[in-house]
Amino acid sequence: MLSVSINEVNSLCGLLIITSLLVIETKKARWSAMFYSFQSLVLVLIFLSLAVLMQANQLYLWAASAFVTKAVLVPLILYRALSRVEEAEMPKNAMSPVVALLIAAASVAVSFIVVDQIQIKAVAPFKPALAISVAHFFFGVLCILTQRNIFKQVLGVCLMENGAHLTLALLAYNAPELVEVGVATDALFAVLIMVTLGGQIYRTLHTLDSSDLTTLKG
Amino acid sequence: MYSAYLIWLLLIPLILSLLVFAVRWLGRATRRVVEALHLICVTLVLVLSLVVVQGVLVQGTVIALGNWLHVDSLGAIFVLIVGLVGFLVGLYSISYIRNDLETGEFDNAKMSIYYGLFSLFLFTMLLVVTSNNIIMMWVAVEATTLGSAFLVGIYGKRSSLEAAWKYIVICTVGIGFGLYGTILVYADAVNVMQEPRLAALWTEIVKNAQALDPALLKLSFVFVLIGFGTKAGLFPMHAWLPDAYTEAPSPVTALLSAVLLNCSLFVIFRFSTITNLGIGPAFSQTLFLVFGTLSVGAAVFFMFMQRDIKRLLAYSSMENAGLIILAFGLGGPAGIAAGLLQLLNQSLVKALLFCTSGNILIKYRSWNLDKVRGMLQVAPVTSLILIAGALALVGAPPFNIFVSKFLIISTGMQVGYAWLMIICLILLMVAFTAFFRVIGSAVFGDKPEGVVRGDVRAFSLVAPLAILLIMILILGLYMPPQLATLLNGATSVAMTGNSTSQVAGASFWQSSPALPTGLIQAEAFFAPLANLLPWK
Repeated sequence: MLSVSINEVNSLCGLLIITSLLVIETKKARWSAMFYSFQSLVLVLIFLSLAVLMQANQLYLWAASAFVTKAVLVPLILYRALSRVEEAEMPKNAMSPVVALLIAAASVAVSFIVVDQIQIKAVAPFKPALAISVAHFFFGVLCILTQRNIFKQVLGVCLMENGAHLTLALLAYNAPELVEVGVATDALFAVLIMVTLGGQIYRTLHTLDSSDLTTLKG
Repeated sequence: MYSAYLIWLLLIPLILSLLVFAVRWLGRATRRVVEALHLICVTLVLVLSLVVVQGVLVQGTVIALGNWLHVDSLGAIFVLIVGLVGFLVGLYSISYIRNDLETGEFDNAKMSIYYGLFSLFLFTMLLVVTSNNIIMMWVAVEATTLGSAFLVGIYGKRSSLEAAWKYIVICTVGIGFGLYGTILVYADAVNVMQEPRLAALWTEIVKNAQALDPALLKLSFVFVLIGFGTKAGLFPMHAWLPDAYTEAPSPVTALLSAVLLNCSLFVIFRFSTITNLGIGPAFSQTLFLVFGTLSVGAAVFFMFMQRDIKRLLAYSSMENAGLIILAFGLGGPAGIAAGLLQLLNQSLVKALLFCTSGNILIKYRSWNLDKVRGMLQVAPVTSLILIAGALALVGAPPFNIFVSKFLIISTGMQVGYAWLMIICLILLMVAFTAFFRVIGSAVFGDKPEGVVRGDVRAFSLVAPLAILLIMILILGLYMPPQLATLLNGATSVAMTGNSTSQVAGASFWQSSPALPTGLIQAEAFFAPLANLLPWK
């Protein structure tokens, strides 16, 4: 019988934040897609560990669907889209690694404070994991707000969704399966539609820089 | 029996949307087939939504699929709006899109995408207002964004792509917050109810609301308000709204403003019922009052600066969303009833005005006041409709919004928010000025060179507007008893979560001290119309 400890789950969650920094800070955009795939694998591992730990069989299914959509399909979609763009035309990263690190630390700190308010017995041992999942969500939001590269903004959405997905797994793993299917499908379609729109913007406006999108104001 | 109709109401737009996507390769016949499928879709959605509403009137609630789908009086009002506005705007789309085909903005492929997404968009909105499973409700709201993002950017121009991008990014982030709010309520409910399958159902959660953790309820409601408030265009999460509304094809804007905005408010109302039952109404009401007033204020400020008719209407949608939330913030049956009536009324007026803006675009190829002048000479019927719609929107009698705005303000005065109502009245007057500055400039004056005299004539460009205008007038003068029953029941549902609408609703009106006094004033004001008011 496979044994997993709560600490292992919490450390795996810590690894999520590190992979997020890699996704955002890597200079080559295509590498971010690969780092994202790596991060999703970590998420799959967390789902599997939680499945063992909480004896929640549904989470095996979640792990399988996360593997297909997040570790394979989404990175493939992103990689293909990014391959069509000249590396030289990519806008520079708006966030320096130091700033990104500080923001990540701040999101974790704030999330720990927020999560501390949650008084649900079943979740008590996983509070660090829960806090990190919330922090991951906020880190994704901050990426979207600070990144100029529209594909990096898509990755921000992906990070956000991974955080939300982990929260969902911790708090709502026993929800009906259809719910998880719905959430995962939405996430996949969101990326697909954003990438298609991003591609259209690149072809029509010849830019990937969201700060160039300034026709509409007031 | 009604359960089957409810399921078909969801299946029809989904199936027909897929069919429309499938027939795009038919070659020359594509246009006719697609238009026929589209008309069948919007007509069936209208008929089925009326049947479902009838079901709610007869038996209180209509449920299906093991209680996953649930329409009570509150849901019925929204189903009615989707069906009615969906049909009229769908009809309007026919000639509008034909015009785009003639001018080369659209080709057959784009047309198929448009109609396919239109039906899909209707499906996702119907799913929002019929879901009883709160997480599915979230999934449906996110799907509305995904379904409509391409519709916003469908012209593929620089500005429309930019608007679509802002729309999808801001709303996806916002909805992310909504997911957190939803998950927190669910996790809390599981903790209390010990039955995961029931804990996701809104009807079950409201029964156990008092056992939920107060701190979590507050936290989740803040997340919900930020999340779904983003989709409703509440300040300060509104940045996407004016751009998306302006750049989308006019029928789509009509759907965004008259239907989607309401769907987002619907979700907020569902969660506020849980929060109010759990920790009392003070918390949600305070947030509603703050967000409502700020949204009205910010919207009016932007409205005053506009020289673009459609953008002005867009900000006016934000103003109305604020006003509806504000009415809910006033609390009590009177505030909620007034808010719901305002919601229904503004849907009809907004559908009318955004379709009218489509007719203006067909004549002038612009909405900017530098180009749109002398409408009375160029398009007399359209300009009269525009004036009537604008009068209705700012709340002039005898149009419908007058009644609901009057009820909101008088309720506010009754429940002790006199100062806030005075601020609101001032803001509404500024909005009035902003409107008539723009409308006056567009309607009067000499027509610009190059614009041919002669109004739009196509049946489907005029008929839906005429029907909407008639409904707006009727609702200003008369309240159909069925609608009054729905509003009574919906108010009761919003306050107690109780779906036995007719009984609970009726007793509410009798037991509420605020409402009769508020309405005595209203009745005195209306004098001859008083007998027609539903809640006399």
